[in-house]
Amino acid sequence: MKVLIIGSGGREHAIAKLVKRSGLEPRIFVAMDYRNPGLEREASETGGKWFIAPTTSPEKIVGVAEEVSPDLIVVGPEEPQFAGVTDALRDRGFTVFGASMRCAEIEKSKVFARTLMWKYGIEGRLYFKAFTDVEEARKFIEFAGDVVIKPARQAGGKGVKVVRDTQAYLSRDRAEVKKSYVEKLFNEMSSYRDIDYKIIVEQRVEGVEYTAMVITDGDTVLPLPLIQDHPHAFEYDTGPETGGMGSIQGPGWVLPFITDEEYRKTIEIVSNVLKALVKEVGEPYIGAFAGQMMLTGVWGPTVIEFYSRFGDPEASNLVPIVESDFLEILDRAAEKRLAGAKLRINEEIVTIVKAVAPAGYPDNKHLASSHPISIDEARIRELGCETLYASVEMRSDGILYTKGSRAFEIVCHGNSYEEAYKKAENAVTHISTLDGWPLFYRRDIGSSELLEDRKRVANRVRQVYMARAKNGLIGKILVWVPGEGILENPLIGFVR
Amino acid sequence: MSGLLTIYAFDELWNLSNILRYGLMALQHRGSQYYVVCTNESNSLKCYEDEDIDVAKKISSHVAIASTYSYQTENLFDVKKSDGYEIVAIVDRPWSAISDFTSALVVSLKNSRNRIDAFRNIIKTFQTDHSVSIPSLMVLTSDREVFVWRGPQGFTTFALGSYGFDMAIAASESVAIDILGGDLKRFLGCGEGVYISRYLFKTFSTDFSNGCSGVCLFELLYLSRHDSIVHGISVYEFRKALGAELAKYLDREVDVVVGVPETALPYAIGFANSIQKAFDMAFVATGGRRRSMLASDPFEKIVAIHLKMNPIRSSLEGKRIAIVDDSMVTGSTMKTVSQILRFRVGVKEIHLFIASPPLVHGCPYNVMRLDVQNLLAANLSKELAKSYLEVDSLHWLSKGDVDRVARRFGIRFCGKCFGVDYFGG
Ligand SMILES: Nc1ncnc2c1ncn2[C@@H]1O[C@H](COP(=O)(O)OP(=O)(O)OP(=O)(O)O)[C@@H](O)[C@H]1O
Repeated sequence: MKVLIIGSGGREHAIAKLVKRSGLEPRIFVAMDYRNPGLEREASETGGKWFIAPTTSPEKIVGVAEEVSPDLIVVGPEEPQFAGVTDALRDRGFTVFGASMRCAEIEKSKVFARTLMWKYGIEGRLYFKAFTDVEEARKFIEFAGDVVIKPARQAGGKGVKVVRDTQAYLSRDRAEVKKSYVEKLFNEMSSYRDIDYKIIVEQRVEGVEYTAMVITDGDTVLPLPLIQDHPHAFEYDTGPETGGMGSIQGPGWVLPFITDEEYRKTIEIVSNVLKALVKEVGEPYIGAFAGQMMLTGVWGPTVIEFYSRFGDPEASNLVPIVESDFLEILDRAAEKRLAGAKLRINEEIVTIVKAVAPAGYPDNKHLASSHPISIDEARIRELGCETLYASVEMRSDGILYTKGSRAFEIVCHGNSYEEAYKKAENAVTHISTLDGWPLFYRRDIGSSELLEDRKRVANRVRQVYMARAKNGLIGKILVWVPGEGILENPLIGFVR
Repeated sequence: MSGLLTIYAFDELWNLSNILRYGLMALQHRGSQYYVVCTNESNSLKCYEDEDIDVAKKISSHVAIASTYSYQTENLFDVKKSDGYEIVAIVDRPWSAISDFTSALVVSLKNSRNRIDAFRNIIKTFQTDHSVSIPSLMVLTSDREVFVWRGPQGFTTFALGSYGFDMAIAASESVAIDILGGDLKRFLGCGEGVYISRYLFKTFSTDFSNGCSGVCLFELLYLSRHDSIVHGISVYEFRKALGAELAKYLDREVDVVVGVPETALPYAIGFANSIQKAFDMAFVATGGRRRSMLASDPFEKIVAIHLKMNPIRSSLEGKRIAIVDDSMVTGSTMKTVSQILRFRVGVKEIHLFIASPPLVHGCPYNVMRLDVQNLLAANLSKELAKSYLEVDSLHWLSKGDVDRVARRFGIRFCGKCFGVDYFGG
């Protein structure tokens, strides 16, 4: 079976590895933006081929597809979906796993996603207000309180400003930051011509984050196990927001700090959103879909945002645990035959993924780019871990160079977090730059210390949402404005 | 709100500067936004006003009257002169007639030998009927005489004290006398005054002594310090008694009893003692004591609330909490507390007990600055209040409860903002 994977990074490498194990004798073809040696190897080892092509160009990708004539095409990242690559391929009659442009709106536009949840009354929704006009936004933010400011369009995992504002004595200083940020964001977002709303201001929540991914053909929803990403660049959840510095999973379908009931509720939310989305756009949703969730005191399972694709690095955690024929599942979804499909995973083990990035990431990708880097994959394999190639490129001199983002993802597993953690810590030592440029990764990911902390936070918010549920307050934030009455508006601040 | 202070040293050797400053410091919990100090300098009067308590250091004489307020506004003091004779009056709350009053009084005092009658007569012309509410006040003259007079309705109080052979002291609250090393002697009754000069110390009453409405309940509920004595009643014991009274409304198990600092701690102790549960510290303040209820700017008020509410997590996390507060005006303190307890700490249940009845009216006498539009109990049903405050249950003392406790302590309180004329006998 010929499979064409669109995309260039660690997520696509993980998909390739999962597909490669199939009993359907897969030959893997790849269309990527740069020479990712990991993807190259999966292609050549299965007797496939790789192409360098701009993955957001429908014409170019259709061209590759016509040359390969695959049985199945898997579109990995979101940008090709936004650009209409999936639709162009389907138009030509290809069988495609990946959200259509209209379905991918759920990731692309946070305004669309939040509006959909309100319109259909889906639980786990947050209050928000979106802006097309900078003046209006500036005025609003002056009186806004405990909020998060985001670009209204998915902008590559960057640009979220979380301003905890629960101390009135600092609220004026914070209001200044919020105002400047709104202006900066408006400037940056003005280059995106494909959206009306430029920024969104939403209710800030606290808790533990996790990702709930599913595979769907628009009717059937096949849940994957919960996985937790780590968006902060540095240890102990400090530092700027990144695309994810690593992730943990297991044992089984939930995480150690999420209950079965919370998992059930999460999948219910994700399924309800899918149902509403299909209804709204009038197209089947075929592909991977994910809720980036947070367990909060406001709702319990709460939606932070959606992915119209597999998470990165979350997809990597699937590599060691999936026991079913993954390719067959993708294929059934793409052909709308997902009903009755079962996903078996190894429920005994846990997985830890750690990303290794060059210094400079994520705030100065230029600094982080073009450093020669080497990896001793054999040693990593000896430890029982897998290497996924992400933002690294093979140049004509035969040397690997960093491309500014997370260079490698190391995927380790074990019968316990301790075991997987030891392996992962060992494995990351086999990566180094050749020019002495510093690399970093997060030692704390998968550690028992961090896990205990997550459990503690989860217990705290669990107590809160349960108490609020008992009092009929789930999801509600009430403020009293004398003279106006009780309002449900958590976006209002102290400064009036 | 405000604190008034008179210090009269009979011996000219005394320089009151530091003494006045510490006396005012002992009244700062009644307001610390604005200070007025007046004294005699050679043959004339001198008044200083400032936001800083150090203004007291400008005083170098042996006689002074001074006040501290939770807000700055007009009509808090007034100086009048008549042919070289001068007086100043300082009042405990803004009084629109203050200028008319001092104009009349300066003439009356200048022209009569009987000082007390002269004062009394002028008061009489201003207190034409009971509905007129004259504030408590102090008057200092250029002849180094002082009148200290408690308003006829008696909303605020005056404690009289002495320091050895040397000083007479009058203060809104007894702690000022304690802090200056003096001895508390007695309290002025409604409409009662004291005249102090170099050679005389005489108390006197005015005709309206029967118009007593009682002490503003907030004096004992919130304003006074725990270590104060008001009309012979220990503020601390009174607060514990109201807390114990509240405990009868507890209808389920709780793990700990806590009080909203700083004022509500004795209530929580009384509550905890009466149900034999642990009383626990719950919050620690940052940057010293601030009286959130006294802040006039709503933003400053929230700042004050936030600064005093850093939770002691270990005594709260995962627990069922009975939290006691002295009163609930706008509810913004309790809303803040419940958000902290829920979201930052993570408690199982919050049961809120308020040691006074629901506040439903503004203050007709302008003693308390209560805007009825902002009063939680006047605007929200109990169910809505519970939801807004995110508490599992909400209990208030009944008017009958407060009345009973007031009778037990032998005191009468004005209860207009709670919807009754008075509490107690
Ligand atoms: N409402 C919120 N309250 C608190 N934190 C939030 C909120 N929204 C976002 N965050 C934090 O910011 C991070 C990024 O937010 P979000 O996922 O919406 O942005 P993004 O830029 O699209 O990121 P991603 O790389 O995950 O696509 C979240 O993982 C979360 O930690």
